[in-house]
Amino acid sequence: MSDTTAEPPTPTPSTQAPSPRTAAPAATPMTRREVEDTFDLDALYTPEERMIRDAVREYVQSELAPHAGEWWREGIFPEHLPRAFGEMGMLGVAIPEAYGGAGATATAYGLVNREVEAADSGLRSFVSVQSSLVMWPILTYGSEDLKKAWLPRLATGEAIGCFGLTEPDAGSDPGAMTTRCKRVGDDWVIRGTKRWITSGTRADVAIIWARDEDSGRVLGFVVETDREGFRAEDIKTKASMRLSVTSELHLDDVAVPDANRLDVVGLKGALSCLSQARFGIAFGVLGAGFATLDEAMHYLEDRPSFGEPLTGKQLVQAKLADMWSDLTKGSLLAYRLGRLKDEGAITPTHISMAKRDNVRAALQAARHARDLLGGNGITTEYGAMRHMSNLETVSTYEGADAVHTLILGRALTGRAAF
Amino acid sequence: MKIVTVVRRVPDVEARVEVDGGDVRVSGAAWSLDGMDEYGVEQALRMREGGLDAEVVALAVGPADTEEVLRTALAMGADRARLLVADDADVGDVLARARLLADAIREEGADLVLTGGKQADADSAALGPALAEHLGWPLADWTTHLELDGTQVRAVHDGDAGPETLAFALPAVVTTQQGLAEPRYPTLPNIMKAKRKPLDVADAPPATPVTNVVGRAPERRERARRMLDGSLEDQARELARVLREGAA
Ligand SMILES: Cc1cc2nc3c(=O)[nH]c(=O)nc-3n(C[C@H](O)[C@H](O)[C@H](O)COP(=O)(O)OP(=O)(O)OC[C@H]3O[C@@H](n4cnc5c(N)ncnc54)[C@H](O)[C@@H]3O)c2cc1C
Repeated sequence: MSDTTAEPPTPTPSTQAPSPRTAAPAATPMTRREVEDTFDLDALYTPEERMIRDAVREYVQSELAPHAGEWWREGIFPEHLPRAFGEMGMLGVAIPEAYGGAGATATAYGLVNREVEAADSGLRSFVSVQSSLVMWPILTYGSEDLKKAWLPRLATGEAIGCFGLTEPDAGSDPGAMTTRCKRVGDDWVIRGTKRWITSGTRADVAIIWARDEDSGRVLGFVVETDREGFRAEDIKTKASMRLSVTSELHLDDVAVPDANRLDVVGLKGALSCLSQARFGIAFGVLGAGFATLDEAMHYLEDRPSFGEPLTGKQLVQAKLADMWSDLTKGSLLAYRLGRLKDEGAITPTHISMAKRDNVRAALQAARHARDLLGGNGITTEYGAMRHMSNLETVSTYEGADAVHTLILGRALTGRAAF
Repeated sequence: MKIVTVVRRVPDVEARVEVDGGDVRVSGAAWSLDGMDEYGVEQALRMREGGLDAEVVALAVGPADTEEVLRTALAMGADRARLLVADDADVGDVLARARLLADAIREEGADLVLTGGKQADADSAALGPALAEHLGWPLADWTTHLELDGTQVRAVHDGDAGPETLAFALPAVVTTQQGLAEPRYPTLPNIMKAKRKPLDVADAPPATPVTNVVGRAPERRERARRMLDGSLEDQARELARVLREGAA
């Protein structure tokens, strides 16, 4: 890297500034790879993890990233994507091969999230929900029949799944849910409304959480969406996550057989699924964050102001350095999080800290990038504003920032302050 | 039938290449499978998927970590891979490299060899022809279309005067050109399966480079960067003169 002892240039009044094209000496900025892996984490991943990351990166950058702005602006989640993701093997990365997954490590799943989110958080949301919130609970709490019926089709993208926990009046406090279930003969009858459900109207199968009227405990069900009494409609007023489908589900006395009940009792079942998705998000957001840093670097290098590229300005560099440092620390955290999960030693506290901090780092990076791109930064021609607005959702869902703060506070002090 | 696809590892597009005292140093990069070699792997896989009863073997000579690009070929679908371990310095010479590879190809009993038309790093197109020469087999270079009918090959390649159709018999060497077969993305399950496929690693026999490198220096091309002024007619006249006589 260049040294810092160079003579300061004599200030030139801006009116006499020579054309920036001839004035600016050729700079050698770091490459994207160097920026994204300053501490050589690459050396710590397995060859398969690296290969998976690179294959997904190539796929995402060639097939998805160039279209993300347009899809987001138009508010469309293209119909072909679930199958395309399935063909790549990106759905159920850590699900065993026997059920159609790739059978890779949790770390590999995290790296896939990161590459997908570099294109758009909404695309990653689809992958998260399908893999962590639908396939994972079926694998973990479902009967062999349920696993055989659903996992291979969810892995190919032939079937789409959604996860219904949140309700219009129960978000951060899911225990306040009003959706009820009741045992009637061999069936369970479910009644209630779920809101903010990713992929809801597209789903063939929904994981629905409801409180048992008799025991008062929360139970989870695999609900085929073509059952009578199941209805879904999209929320169309979003200014964030526009290329992801978000829906409201209405369950009007939907009857499902007891065989569709997940083998877990209490809210901890739902929360254990969220832990899987939050883990992926801690990796995923780094993709969005680094994409905005990369975009800002290129934009500013080509944009002269007062006689030289904006990358040569101190205030600009301060922002870039903050973005780089915060996202790099996030990568180190995510790496360790991944290995703890691979070793079976991960705790919800690890996940809360990583989700909260990495979302903050990515959101702050996107906000800086939005600012640094000036007027262009508010358009969908560039990614900064789109990523920034998506990350507002990521900060809210899968445990709002405040909720993770309170989880950390409780762990630290032993006092719950929710 | 056995198809050997010869592959190389090259620095990826983000590599930082520095020339240091006559030596080329590559940093800040991961290595990847040479794109033109990838066409060859893809072509072999497509012929097999099209019903040809063939074993597809990926073969490379290079430093031990060349293994990763062989894994990529396995993840794409090759059945097996072989690495002859040698220092880049010892086999930097394309003729020495070709001799080692040709011996291994003969040993494999290959019927068809596919390799890149040109190497992304050294920009050399010599490996394919050198292989054909060592093996004494026919060569189709810069191939954009390839068909087999038994042991008869029909290949369309980019000749100097445009596309030419060649017909010859196996065994043969074919080098790739863009358009032959757009490579697939390795899928995640196949990447995991590749880990279990056989990959033989053995030291390469000693190689004898036939060229002697005296030094290396980056090629610098300066542009004249001249703006023409005056009336449109003056500019056109000056441009015509520059084109005819040079920009000096
Ligand atoms: C695009 C999108 C997709 C989603 N997908 C799904 C899905 O697939 N499935 C699903 O079940 N849900 C999904 N959600 C719902 C999401 O998980 C909830 O929005 C989230 O849990 C927050 O709940 P809420 O919106 O009700 O906000 P609230 O819980 O009402 O929170 C409002 C504000 O109060 C703060 N707050 C809450 N409690 C406390 C407290 N104790 N102390 C201090 N501050 C507090 C919050 O941090 C927040 O700032 C999605 C949401 C969005 C936006």
